[in-house]
This record gives sequence, structure tokens and C-alpha cells, in this order.
Amino acid sequence: MASSATPTPTPAPPPGVPVPTPYPYANEPAYPGPNVIGPQPEGMPLHACMGLNACAGADRFGTAGPPGGKGPNACAGQGYCSTGTDHTCHVQNDCKGQGGCGLYGTGEEMNNPGANDCRSLGSCATPINGERFSTNGPNQGQSVWLRARAVFEANWAANQAELKALQAAGKIASTQALPETPGPAPAAFAATGPTYLWISQDNEARGNMTACGSSGMSGAGGCS
Amino acid sequence: MDTPDPVTPLTPAEQAFVATLNANWTREEVLARLQTDLQTAIEIELATIPIYLYTYYSLVRNNESGETISDAQLFANKAGGVIMSVAVEEMLHMSLSSNVLFSMGVAPQLYQHAPSAYPTGLPYHNPTGPVGPDGQTAVQIPLGKLGFEQLWHFLQIEYPEQWNAPPQDSNWDTIGQFYSYIRCLLSTAFLTDGDFQQGAWAKAIQPYNYSPNNVDTVYPDAGFDPWKPAPPAPTPGWADPVQGAAAAAVFPDYADSHVGQTQLVAVQSIQDAATAIDTICDQGEGVPIPDVGPSPDDDQSKDEESHYVKFLTLQAQFADYAGTSEQRPLQPPAPTDVIQPAITQADLLAADVLVNMPDNPVAANYPPLYSDIANFCSACFQYMLIMTETIYLVPPENQKLFFNEGLHRSMIWVLDKYIRTIRQIPISGGAYAGMMMGPTFENVSLGLRVNSFAGLTDFGNKAIEAAKALIAEEDADEAGDKVAEALDHLNFAAEAAKIEKDGDLVSVLQNVIYYVCVAISKTSADGYPMHLPDVGQYWATA
Repeated sequence: MASSATPTPTPAPPPGVPVPTPYPYANEPAYPGPNVIGPQPEGMPLHACMGLNACAGADRFGTAGPPGGKGPNACAGQGYCSTGTDHTCHVQNDCKGQGGCGLYGTGEEMNNPGANDCRSLGSCATPINGERFSTNGPNQGQSVWLRARAVFEANWAANQAELKALQAAGKIASTQALPETPGPAPAAFAATGPTYLWISQDNEARGNMTACGSSGMSGAGGCS
Repeated sequence: MDTPDPVTPLTPAEQAFVATLNANWTREEVLARLQTDLQTAIEIELATIPIYLYTYYSLVRNNESGETISDAQLFANKAGGVIMSVAVEEMLHMSLSSNVLFSMGVAPQLYQHAPSAYPTGLPYHNPTGPVGPDGQTAVQIPLGKLGFEQLWHFLQIEYPEQWNAPPQDSNWDTIGQFYSYIRCLLSTAFLTDGDFQQGAWAKAIQPYNYSPNNVDTVYPDAGFDPWKPAPPAPTPGWADPVQGAAAAAVFPDYADSHVGQTQLVAVQSIQDAATAIDTICDQGEGVPIPDVGPSPDDDQSKDEESHYVKFLTLQAQFADYAGTSEQRPLQPPAPTDVIQPAITQADLLAADVLVNMPDNPVAANYPPLYSDIANFCSACFQYMLIMTETIYLVPPENQKLFFNEGLHRSMIWVLDKYIRTIRQIPISGGAYAGMMMGPTFENVSLGLRVNSFAGLTDFGNKAIEAAKALIAEEDADEAGDKVAEALDHLNFAAEAAKIEKDGDLVSVLQNVIYYVCVAISKTSADGYPMHLPDVGQYWATA
């Protein structure tokens, strides 16, 4: 077995340097951790990332909102992060609309992050960290999260019509508000999406998410 | 820029050979030879994949990242991206040759058709080639970690066909000449489009399954700020004014580096077949320039380098490049000087960005228990080949899902992670003492295809038992409850047992168990299978 004469296993990659200081998200709610997802509005769809929620109260913190009594997010598109089961890679998503994007997959998939049709047809890790860029397709080299938000807004009317039909069929409570327009993503992240610095809680919890790949260019650690 | 290239016209040598074929061969002879050569083409492409992957997995690409990345790490990352960019295209080429053969009504044979031992020649390759750095002319390609000599072997594979070279399908000098022979067969007067409509077009491997790049083909051109949000997001006030990952990213493959309308063409005509073969030739050897020779680029928009140039450019950054005796072709021109900053294999090992894996390992030469861990890797590789064959049997409407849950999951979520796990296991005794484990890519038997998932599961269970025994030897207490939980793989959705980061040997062995479970038994929280699909249903009625 291993002895002092044999090589030791490769250590885990350290954070990219230099780490920004001071921590810029001190006034934001802390990322809750991997697969820590609060109670969601009954019958409403889960989603892949921040700012992609369909109604108030649908986000990582759920209907109770983040710690500190701030209350739940007030409207569609204003949520903090994903509610689908966290995963790290292409085809690992559980259901429609829960795939991230950008690391593996076709150009078409990468042009539609968060808008996959079904289980195992999503593309890449969730949540979608703000550093991530698409590696194929028309969005190559550009932000995955910003593309996801644009797709979310473009699909808004059709998705809301679908939800209203479900509500009319009694599959979503009649008391569930379905807004006409989405609000902006949380202000600190509206231009970027959720950064890995926030997701990892200033590098205190680097296991909060892992994006696949070994090139070190996913912005979220990568697989060892 | 997405500008599909036209099929390259036949050279004078090819035109002369086609005339000979038309005059002296029969339709039956041409059809039989074409089918034989296409199966050989599949095996040539298949042979390159373990060779390139082995070297790829000797590289550690992200030990460090950031603005002050070392030259050694930067080179290792670049080499990894370049090698993966070629490996991805070899998978494309294997698929293209398979699609052409399938269109002729013949099922491509992949399972147990990889090289039987290493070092290896490629099928029907001339065993004597140009002089290498060691002064030798033997064409024997090893499984080996990255180094100057290994890149020479890559060049032996990708050595470019010179202008107007004779077509050859046995004792061939370059892969380009081998495919040239197929181009000539396709150009005879005996064939019709109907000859390429004998396999259902909709069951061929479809274009939507191919992507030229992924996060593993990409590499940074220099240090970068990994914290900077991707464009077009504005740079936050807290970020450094240096380039972010997106700006540093090099994409070594291009979406337009192919002939015709798509990279992965499903074949139903002579033109489709010629298109597929031409894409293979151009990506490997460069677009031919009449009366000159191969271009450094594989497409006419000159975005993507040929495989040969990609590897030669990597090799030229090794200090050994200066004064080497290796014999290179006239075209395309080689770098005249060592590319700076120069690197050596010793530099890479010292910087911990190169894993000291053995040359040409075989499982039987690993210590007991380690061999079972190595064999599962080969079993997964063989199952991937069976799944590739199975695509042609899957109902077309299910192909995308099968590809994602079978091929993608096995490649990225099992094989990739499994190899990067076992390479952290030091070998304390036997032929490879003092080195780290590497994959062996052997043609292990999973039994009949219809029962192959059970065969894969058997290999997996042996690997689990081996890891369990090694953990017990190492430190039973350290393993704790987590291991017991991981071993209950029939009822356990392995996610919870995964050790998130590299660590001690016990943790590494726990990850061996985890990735085996991903292959053979993982389920989602709601009970949906998340392991590799059992192909038995498709072969039971084949």
C-alpha cells in the first residue's frame, strides 16, 4: 500500500488567484448551499438559476425568503438561484427547464440554457455561475447566464400561457398569482448572474457547486 | 464564420486509379472492397482514441489558475485542450466512417475492435515510416504520458499526405492515402446512390449529437482573472482590469471545419459518402493545395489547424525540438525554432502538471486488486463501443435521449472521472512500482452484446470489492460509515457518497466506488435510472 516512497495523490485545485477583496456581496443573503432549497409555491415549475423563476417566492430560499426576515422574492424573475436539483454536468438534469448550459453540448443547446425539453436533455451544471461562457454555437465566448435570462424573457409569454392553462385545469392553485411581466434579477447580480464568489461564500464553501471540465475555465472549480 | 467547404476534386493520381478500377474491376469487387475498407477505417479511427486519451489523462490542467499561472501549467492546459480537440474529431471520424458503412447495409463493428495490445501499429499501416527522434523507423504507437517522443508518435499517426500521392489501402504510408483509396472506390462508375440507402438514414448517428468544442477542448492563451463575469457583462468594480476566462479562451475546433452542410453527416448518397470522407481527410491532414501539398489548416476559411499541425506546434515547444533527427514532410512547413517558452517533460513532472503513468500498462501487471480497478475502466470503454453500435438500433425518436444518457454520460460522467480518479492511486509494487495508475483500454469481454450490461456490472462489482479491500487495508476507521453507505450501491443513489475533492487514498478509493455506481446503479431521488442504459433490449431483437 501507499508508503512514504510512493507518490501522493494530486491535491485539489486551489482558488484562482488573486481572490478579490473585500468580499463584494456582504450585504446579500448568503448562498444556502448545495441542494438546500426552501419550500416552493405548489405546482409551479422549478428552474435552473437566479432570475429565471416564474412567480413570487420561487427561488432558493423559497416562500419563507432568506434568513433575516427580508421575505420571499416579490415577483417572477427576481429569485435567488436555482430550484431544480443541483447537478454538475450535461444530461444530469431531472426535468424540463432545469438544465444549465455552456460546458458540454451542442450549439443549439447552448443557445437555450434553462429551456431544455425534458429530463436528461438539459445542458450542464446548475446554478449557472456568472463567469461561465458558452463553448459552442452563436453564444460562444459569451455569458451563459445572460443568455439564459434573455431566453427566459423571450419565452415568457408562452410559458405564462402554459401556466395559466394549467391553472385553469386546476393543476395550479387558483390563488397562485401569475404575473404579466417578470421583474429584474436581484440588483447585485442583475448584470452578471450569480458569481462563483457569491455561490462559494467568498471561498468558504467551494463545494457549494462544481461545474464540470478540467480546463479550469468554467469559473466554478471544475472537477478534480 | 460558418463556410462549408466543397468536396476536394480528385488528384491526377486518383483519377488514374479510378480509370484503372473502372477498366478492371467489377461492381461486386468494388462494393466488397469499399465495405472492407470502411470497417478498416473505423478501426483506424478507433485505434487513435485510446492513444490520445491516455496522453490526455496524463495531464493535470487545473492545479493552478488565475493571473499568475506558471508556464508549465499553461502548457499542460494548452496541450490538454489541443489533444482533446483532436480526440473529439477522431470520434467524429469514427462516426462518419460508421455512417457510410451503415448506409451500405453493414453494421459497424466496434466492440473488441480496438488495438489488442500496445504499442501498436494502426490497421494496415506501413510498419516502417520516417525516421523519428530516436533514429528509428518503426511505426509502433504506445500508450504514454505527454512528452516529445509521444508527440512524435502522434505525428506518425497524422503524417500528412503529400500532393498527388498514390492511393493505398494496405501498407499505407499516410491516413490520407488510405482514405484516398476509398475516395477512388466511391468515384467508380459502378456505384449508385441506392448503394448508400441500404441502412435507414434516420437510424444513422445524427448531426445533432456532435459538438466541435466543449469545456475540455478550450484552454487559456495566458493568465486570466477567473473571477471576472463573462461578457457582455460589464466588469464589476471589484474585479481586476485583466482579461477574464472568456477573453483568454482559445477554441481549437471550429464549427465550419467540414465539407458539406454539417460535420456529422448521415449518409444516403454517393455525395454524402464523399463529403464524410473528405471531412475526415481535411481535419486530419489539412486541405490539399493543388501542386503544393497539405495546407496547415483543415478548412478553406483557415480557422482551424489540421491535427498534424496542432501536434507539431505542441512538439515544437519542447526543448528537444532543437536538433531533433525526426523527419518531417515538406508540407506544411514546420516551425524552424523551438517555440518559447520552451518546456521539457521533466519540467511538467516537477510542476505536478504531468502524472507519471506507465507506458503501455496492462491490468494483469498491476498488483492484485488494482487490476480489478483497472479492468472496470476497460469494461466501461468497451461498453461505450457497444452503445455506439447500439445507436443504429435505437428508434430514431429516442436517439438523442439514448446518446445523452448513454454516450455522454459514460464519457463525461464515468470514464473521464474514473480515469482522473485512478490516476491518483500510487502503485507500490510490481512492474509499475513508484508510478501512478493509468487506464489500460483493453479489449475485455462483456459477453454477448445482449448481456453486456450485466458484464459491465460484473466488472463494476469486482472494482467495488477491490476498492473496499484496499480501503480496509489502508485504514478501515478512516473510511467510516460513508464507505458502508457507498457499497450499498443497489439501493443507494451514489451522490451522497461522492468525495467532493481529491484527498487521501481512502477518499480516492471511495470515488472509485462512486463512479462505478454512476455507471451501473445510480438512480435519481424519484427512482429514475441515472446509470448507463442497458442495451439488451435493442440486441434481443437485432
